[in-house]
Amino acid sequence: MKTITFAAIYIGSHEVSLKVSEITSGRKIRPIDYVRSNIDLGRDAYRKGMIGYELVEELCQVLKEFYTIMNGYKVDAYKAYAGNTLRNVSNEVFILDQIRLRTKIDVTVLSNSEYRFMEYKALAMSPEFEKMIQKGAAIVDVGGGSMQISLFQKGKAVTTQHIELGIMRIREKILKIENLVSHYETQIQELVDKELEIFRRIYLEGMEVKYVIFLGDYIGEIVKSFSKKEEDGTIETERFLKLLKKWSKKTSEEISEELNLPNEHDPLIVPSVVLYKRLTEELNAGYIWVPGYTINDGIVCDYAERRRMVSFGHNFEEDILNAAKSLAERYQGYSKHTEAVLSMCTIVFDAMKKVHGMGKRERLLLQVAAVLHDCGRYISLVDQAERSYQIVMASEIIGVSQLEREIIGDIVRYTSKPSLTYGDVNGKLDQASYMVVSKLTAILKIANALDRSHKQKFKGVKASLRQRELVITVESSEDIVLEKGLLPAYANSFEEVFSVKPAIREKKVF
Amino acid sequence: MDKEKEKDKEKDKEFLKPEYYENRELSWLKFNYRVLNEARDKNIPLLERLKFVSITSSNLDEFFMVRVASLKDMVHAEYKKKDIAGMTAKEQLEAINKDTRALVEVQYSTYNRSLVPLLHNHDIQIIDAHEDLTEAQEEYVDRYFEEAVYPVLTPMAVDASRPFPLIRNKSLNIAALLTKKEDNKGELEFATVQVPSVLSRIVQIPPAEEGCKTFILLEQIIERNIHRLFLNYNVVCAYPYRIMRNADLSIDEDEAEDLLQEIQKQLKKRQWGEVIRLEVEEKVDKRLLKILQDDLHIAQEDIFKINGPIDLTFLMKMYGIEDGDALRYPSHKPQRVPQIVPGEDIFEAIRKGDILLHHPYQTFDPVVDFIRQAAKDPDVLAIKQTLYRVSGNSPIIASLAQAAENGKQVSVLVELKARFDEENNIVWAKKLEKAGCHVIYGLVGLKTHSKIALVVRKEEDGIRRYVHLGTGNYNDSTAKLYTDLGMFTCSEAIGEDATAVFNMLSGYSEPLSWNKLVVAPIWLRKRFLKLIKREIKHANAGREAFIKAKMNSLCDRDIIAALYEASAAGVQIDLVIRGICCLKTGIPGVSENIRVRSIVGNFLEHSRIFWFHNDGQEEIYMGSADWMPRNLDRRVEIIFPVENERLMDQVRHIMETQLADNTKSHILQKDGHYEKIDKRGKKLLNSQQQFCKEAEKAVPKKVNAYQDRVFIPAEPVE
Repeated sequence: MKTITFAAIYIGSHEVSLKVSEITSGRKIRPIDYVRSNIDLGRDAYRKGMIGYELVEELCQVLKEFYTIMNGYKVDAYKAYAGNTLRNVSNEVFILDQIRLRTKIDVTVLSNSEYRFMEYKALAMSPEFEKMIQKGAAIVDVGGGSMQISLFQKGKAVTTQHIELGIMRIREKILKIENLVSHYETQIQELVDKELEIFRRIYLEGMEVKYVIFLGDYIGEIVKSFSKKEEDGTIETERFLKLLKKWSKKTSEEISEELNLPNEHDPLIVPSVVLYKRLTEELNAGYIWVPGYTINDGIVCDYAERRRMVSFGHNFEEDILNAAKSLAERYQGYSKHTEAVLSMCTIVFDAMKKVHGMGKRERLLLQVAAVLHDCGRYISLVDQAERSYQIVMASEIIGVSQLEREIIGDIVRYTSKPSLTYGDVNGKLDQASYMVVSKLTAILKIANALDRSHKQKFKGVKASLRQRELVITVESSEDIVLEKGLLPAYANSFEEVFSVKPAIREKKVF
Repeated sequence: MDKEKEKDKEKDKEFLKPEYYENRELSWLKFNYRVLNEARDKNIPLLERLKFVSITSSNLDEFFMVRVASLKDMVHAEYKKKDIAGMTAKEQLEAINKDTRALVEVQYSTYNRSLVPLLHNHDIQIIDAHEDLTEAQEEYVDRYFEEAVYPVLTPMAVDASRPFPLIRNKSLNIAALLTKKEDNKGELEFATVQVPSVLSRIVQIPPAEEGCKTFILLEQIIERNIHRLFLNYNVVCAYPYRIMRNADLSIDEDEAEDLLQEIQKQLKKRQWGEVIRLEVEEKVDKRLLKILQDDLHIAQEDIFKINGPIDLTFLMKMYGIEDGDALRYPSHKPQRVPQIVPGEDIFEAIRKGDILLHHPYQTFDPVVDFIRQAAKDPDVLAIKQTLYRVSGNSPIIASLAQAAENGKQVSVLVELKARFDEENNIVWAKKLEKAGCHVIYGLVGLKTHSKIALVVRKEEDGIRRYVHLGTGNYNDSTAKLYTDLGMFTCSEAIGEDATAVFNMLSGYSEPLSWNKLVVAPIWLRKRFLKLIKREIKHANAGREAFIKAKMNSLCDRDIIAALYEASAAGVQIDLVIRGICCLKTGIPGVSENIRVRSIVGNFLEHSRIFWFHNDGQEEIYMGSADWMPRNLDRRVEIIFPVENERLMDQVRHIMETQLADNTKSHILQKDGHYEKIDKRGKKLLNSQQQFCKEAEKAVPKKVNAYQDRVFIPAEPVE
């Protein structure tokens, strides 16, 4: 049995952390050491838009120490990621270069969706998670600047929403009026309510949320005061709310003391309490669960999964497709036609395997694009491709990275446009991704053409590759002149990309 | 609910009345008195009794330098706040002065009236007046002076051009009044000379009678020959004296860039602290005393006239004289810990289960071995340890340095602020740094008092952590004299906590939660109060409730108030407190259920045990903290639970044996005095002796392998 000692480093907005764990195939990941150091990168990043020399210096110093600690454990591998904070500053590349040169640590910057996905992977390692999402659950991840809520029903992801409402953001908004009022909980509540109201109206109608799973700052400290928990580690919402209601009348000093926070009057604790209270009320779940995982746990799980040393009980790919379907349904773009295109593009993709050389992940991206390719009609019948692209880019889908989102968006966008040059996507995609987009767009175009009339005329579609020809055999009882006739027009790019010519063979069924 | 709270607050106030508390300094003096009492115990071998006198003397020195000095500071600063017993600093100083004089009185009457005659009976003579020497002895002494003493003396005269010199803290000196030989006016001049500390205070000289052992005090040799130091003068008179200075270090850590340098600077300053005590011989010349008094700026009440040799700590040297075994306790050899076979893999032994160590009954060697083996073990990745007071030439330091040289990650927290050991600590710290260890010089504003050592080992099935936690310092010398408890474990939960402790000490964030350990200054007081409150809850519900605790000192107001509340609720509380105890027993309605005993024995009681009944789900903790504000608020301390049933039984047994001790126990009485137990008609139990015997018994007997061996002759080959 192989055991790997792995180090996960994360550079966050106010903390840099290192977690050393042992990964053994088929066993639970074992935490060894968890070191955290406070560095207020967020302050510079949010105020100045760049991170100053002193903080970079401090960051490098801590990372150097981390490097020594990693060496001390003789770690076999490590991953170092940075989040939002570094992504949004003007001197991002220089900082990364400085870190690499001075500490020998290679840092990758994560997009929001990648970050969240890693967190979900850590969640999915615990058996409770699968049980909870079967019964209906909301994962609420509260950060400094924003939060993300994902809803699950019957074990499937329904939606993920990014809300610009975070503890630090609330605090900053309130700061300006703090002196005007003695109790600013009401003001915080109003701010929070406005955002949550919309979320509830659109997404929570008809949903049954039994569990709220909280990730994020301060919640760990808050639930620590509950010594009694249910068997699965959850807390009854009523009890939770009772305490929060009591606290929302207290000052930050009083709560900080009760929670034993290192900072004696933590300015963020009151916004946190109000925010968690309102979220719990709004989501109206029976129980809340605070698993206590951190992004470092996510990084470890992600690595272990990529090395195939662990497997999740939860199928994230299904989640992605499900979330895409919910999204399409929301924009009334999910129809029989969508299903037909989805099934046909999959058939073509599989038949073309030898030629296109793409894998499972690209297949999934194609399917997501197929599901979403029509959703722009909800906004406008003219130029629906552009609208579909915008919808894709504005929507969070768990487990789809920023780059992948761009890929899906471009496929959707160019499916109904004549052709796509690298110049069209330059700056957003690298060449390899451009190739993926081109190939998948070509396939989707063919699939789309096969249901041109939106009447699902074809049954029993089969596709097979014969030398330089892709033979699509269809069974149909109807007149398919339209499809047959229009195919060559859509096949242009297909031929261009793959040097393979698609052809339809008809098997008449009566 | 609010009403209830108010009621609680009132109740709390009730338990905070100053008359329910004893002043900590006066309580400490009582402790020193108990030690002195051992010197008066006729059942104790003579040299042991000398040792106890010496201990009371050095205890008193430290007490003055630290406690009295800071009270003086408070008076100077006109600090008016009262202590828990409602006394101002000035009132405390007055009371201390009175009690100290009484103590010194007893100290010297014990020495003069009992010990010196008894020594004489045993043919041991201490000459403390050179006038008593025989002719032969005089000759010997004078030669000794010429050859050994004279070269290291630095006499210093005081006149208009030579100011009063710096008299070193705690050093013994001889002051003399001189007149110029050719000057007939008889004008008196003052001179002083330090009794050199590099030479032994006691010098063995040829006996007057055959078979006798005779010693003379060094200052007497100097006094006798003092005229040789001032050749052009007549010596009018010469008397020894000693001063004590304010030694409390105050370091502004925020300002101090490098703690190491700052402490070195402060150490030099300590020589110059305010003089707070002057000891002179009783029959000192009045003119001489006046000069000393004026130049040292010392108040009348701080002058102690001593009836006998000044500074009795030299008796510790007498304790160690050759051929004195008959007058000492047979020395106890620390026994092997049964679970650990010397020379074998200590990590394997720990893997078999937690191991309890009880020093000095059991040897400290496993702890030294733990680090030594780790330093050489190729599988060991890291060693982390806190060092507070280390012995000279510590094998632990050597092993840590070796480990670093062997490429292991070694982190050591050296507490530079350990009082009176600062100089020592700086030397070790530098040595370790040179060897490549990562040395942390403590935390700003906090002393690191916790005793913890962690060894991280990469084993076949992953990383495993071995932890030693203790109540005493990592000091192999004091481990032979102090009673302490330690525990080896490789429990995963404690290992994780240990790693977190060192992360915290290295300046990283506190862990999100602790598994097992309770760490001061942040969590400890709350936890103790919670544990006491839990017993109160059980008592209120009519269930059995008790607390049995052992520590060095108890003077934390909150904890005492909580104990009073517990006693009032019916919780039975038994405390074994060696030193200071600000709690009073037997106050009606307040502390009737509390019993306090102090054990003063051959070994210094040092272990801390906290045992809570918890309605049958007993919890036992051990650790480095006393129930003192400084332990709970200003130090990094660790309290750890003993969870292994076997170990819990061992600790329970230790506690019960101490509570049954009727030989060395002093019971705190209602009026604040301590009294020994009336032993008549009782089976005597001396807990320390009992533990010695038990430790010997626990060692597995060597099987004599030769007994069963039979040589088998070979058969002839056919």
